[in-house]
Amino acid sequence: MTAAQPIATPTRWAGLGADAQSVWGSFQGSGAEPYDTMVDHGQLGFSCTCPSRKTPCKHALALLLLWVRGQIVDTRTPSNVEAWMQRRTGARNRAAGADRDAPKSADAPTDAGAQEHRSHSIAPEGAAPDSVSGESPGPTPVDGETIGDERPPPPVPPPDPDRAAARDDRVARMRAGLTELDRWLDDRIRTGLADPSLAQYSTWDSLAARLVDAQAGSLANRVRRLAGLVGATPHWHDDVLAELGILHLLARAGHRIGDLPDGLADAVATSVGWQVRQADVLAGVPDTDEWLVAGRSDVREDRIEVRRHWLRGTNSRAWALSLSFAAYQQSLDTSLPVGTSLRADLHRYPGHALRSLMGTRHGDAVNNGGVASMFAASACSIAEGCDEVGVMVAAEPWLDRVPVTIRARLARTGQTWALTDETGSLPILDLGTRAFDAGIAMLLAVSEGRPLALTIEWTPHGVIPLSIHLPDRTVDIGPRANTSFVSAA
Amino acid sequence: MIEPTDPTPAGPPEPTTPEPTTPEPAMAEHWNDLVTVALLGTDRRDPPTPPGALADLVADTARSSPSERMLAQVAAATAVRRAGILPGPALDELAVPEGDDRLPCTPAAVDRWHHITASWPVLEDEWLLTLIRNGWRIAPELLPAMLLRHRNDAVRRTRVMVGVGNAGRWLVGHLPYLEARHPNATVTPEALAELPDLPIAPELAQMLDWPGSEIAGVVGQSIESAALGQSHKPMLVNLVARIRLDALIDFADGMDSVDSTASGHGLATVLGDLATTRHRMLDELAST
Repeated sequence: MTAAQPIATPTRWAGLGADAQSVWGSFQGSGAEPYDTMVDHGQLGFSCTCPSRKTPCKHALALLLLWVRGQIVDTRTPSNVEAWMQRRTGARNRAAGADRDAPKSADAPTDAGAQEHRSHSIAPEGAAPDSVSGESPGPTPVDGETIGDERPPPPVPPPDPDRAAARDDRVARMRAGLTELDRWLDDRIRTGLADPSLAQYSTWDSLAARLVDAQAGSLANRVRRLAGLVGATPHWHDDVLAELGILHLLARAGHRIGDLPDGLADAVATSVGWQVRQADVLAGVPDTDEWLVAGRSDVREDRIEVRRHWLRGTNSRAWALSLSFAAYQQSLDTSLPVGTSLRADLHRYPGHALRSLMGTRHGDAVNNGGVASMFAASACSIAEGCDEVGVMVAAEPWLDRVPVTIRARLARTGQTWALTDETGSLPILDLGTRAFDAGIAMLLAVSEGRPLALTIEWTPHGVIPLSIHLPDRTVDIGPRANTSFVSAA
Repeated sequence: MIEPTDPTPAGPPEPTTPEPTTPEPAMAEHWNDLVTVALLGTDRRDPPTPPGALADLVADTARSSPSERMLAQVAAATAVRRAGILPGPALDELAVPEGDDRLPCTPAAVDRWHHITASWPVLEDEWLLTLIRNGWRIAPELLPAMLLRHRNDAVRRTRVMVGVGNAGRWLVGHLPYLEARHPNATVTPEALAELPDLPIAPELAQMLDWPGSEIAGVVGQSIESAALGQSHKPMLVNLVARIRLDALIDFADGMDSVDSTASGHGLATVLGDLATTRHRMLDELAST
């Protein structure tokens, strides 16, 4: 409601109107297109084209505020509102008929609130894609809305006639967004990377906003991150060009998603921005194992702090990723200390993604010396680690963070640091922050120049050491969020 | 007696020259050509001809314009380069610092240091001096935080250097931002070896040598009668930080017995926690 108050002003809206059952209007948000918002105040239902995962979103609440204050006059019902109300009435009638005709299923949802959906969204609370490319989506904050820690799944809603239409609409919007992205990329390649407009954030941000409108939040976040590469290093042209190539790859793959094998299609869909409901993920077959918390890294992305916990199954040896998010003064997940293990059901996002949701925990995360010794024993050489990374990146070239546990020592290359062994070396990403200094200092202090088992994150621009696995314990050295921004860092 | 060590950092090793990591020379060369064209733009220069394998990869795409052909090549080349990651050349080893026979303090002691610096900094001097006297070495994972924390304090910094041994100077040699702010400050052996005096009011100071139960009796009654309150907390904290070690447990028990309805019950709880923390700290740092 706090977020709705500032926008409950008639001057921020266009096409406001109401009738005996509904109220509607168009709000000009941060995107290029206004958000069409409708509220059924008789039977309480909401529809908004904004990408927020909250239901109701702040636009719907603002609309209701305006209406109860008498700031919206009754007018003729527009055709789109009429059609929406008719679909809702039809759905209610069918649901009532079904209730009369059939005994209630044991697992049928009974929560009346669950019957309402964001008509624009297949995944009301699903995360929009983020920087965790390939790992699948994270949140995309819009218009000051923020996303907190992952929440427990809502009840599974019944089939909704709005969904098919919304899905079609969304597919069309996303395809249009991908076409626009490819056209934009084409312009950049034609005019060249020396174009001064690339140094302006607005060049990238306006594209990102349009991608958010097209429900391709993951690509939008990718574009915003890309803006940060311009001028960041002497080799920024290489980095930016490579990222433009990956965006092109995703745009093309998104257009041909129907031709792709199922697993790859799912991976492309989530990397482009297709939202997946947490309930759907949690409804999948769990991957039950003793999960070892191998490493943690915190990264600020726009106005959200993203925490990645890299988990590894004791039996499967498979990697998984648990994400948590915190906006300003919110808390990150602290329930998975590095070096602990816990038995839990992990549910992977579609496409055999690294990203997973933790379902049932069959116990707390406990300190376990076995974690460190397992990693110390299984750590591979740098060359083998490159092979592991290569296999994962070959399957999904848009991955930009891949975990691997290696045995290596710290070395210097000029002014920068690297990890090395007899099979080769990998440059360490200079994060340019105190977090980087702290991680390197810890690695240097603990290793004293000797080889150690380390869990690292590979990125296209260098690796990030996350944890040191000593014989008796694991030391967390991953980049840590600034405590002035989020708590529980 | 603890002797100060030479605070002069050892110099870092000679840097080696990095070499780029490339899947194969032809691809690296082609990528450089792509970057050159990308800088100029395909309006000014046509995309390069892709090498064999890459040509096959983009051959099935029907691209009419130079920019489309260029984008296809960039996407394919990026995917190949990332998936074909190869390590760079092996690098020279760092010189390893001289060994230290002392055992590093236990993980529990490491956690305790983090706890006391966050909650009871009055105990930090005693933590470090006890560690040194009892023959422990500072655990390496504490070193960066300790060096950063005491960059401006010559006495404590020197204690850290003593507690960590050669690894301290070695680390500072590699990370100059950990150097002392005033490296030429002099430190007397007495200052180095002794706990600093804490201000304690005379009526409280007389209790320093009392048994714990007696101190708790007097302090507890005064708290219950409101003769001692929050305004006296700094003095009481200093008192608990300096009472005899064998008085700590009884004192903590005595604080537990303070009337929970008394207005000063919170203060009693805090003092009890301090006594317990100090007792555990000293227990964790008992002789090796």
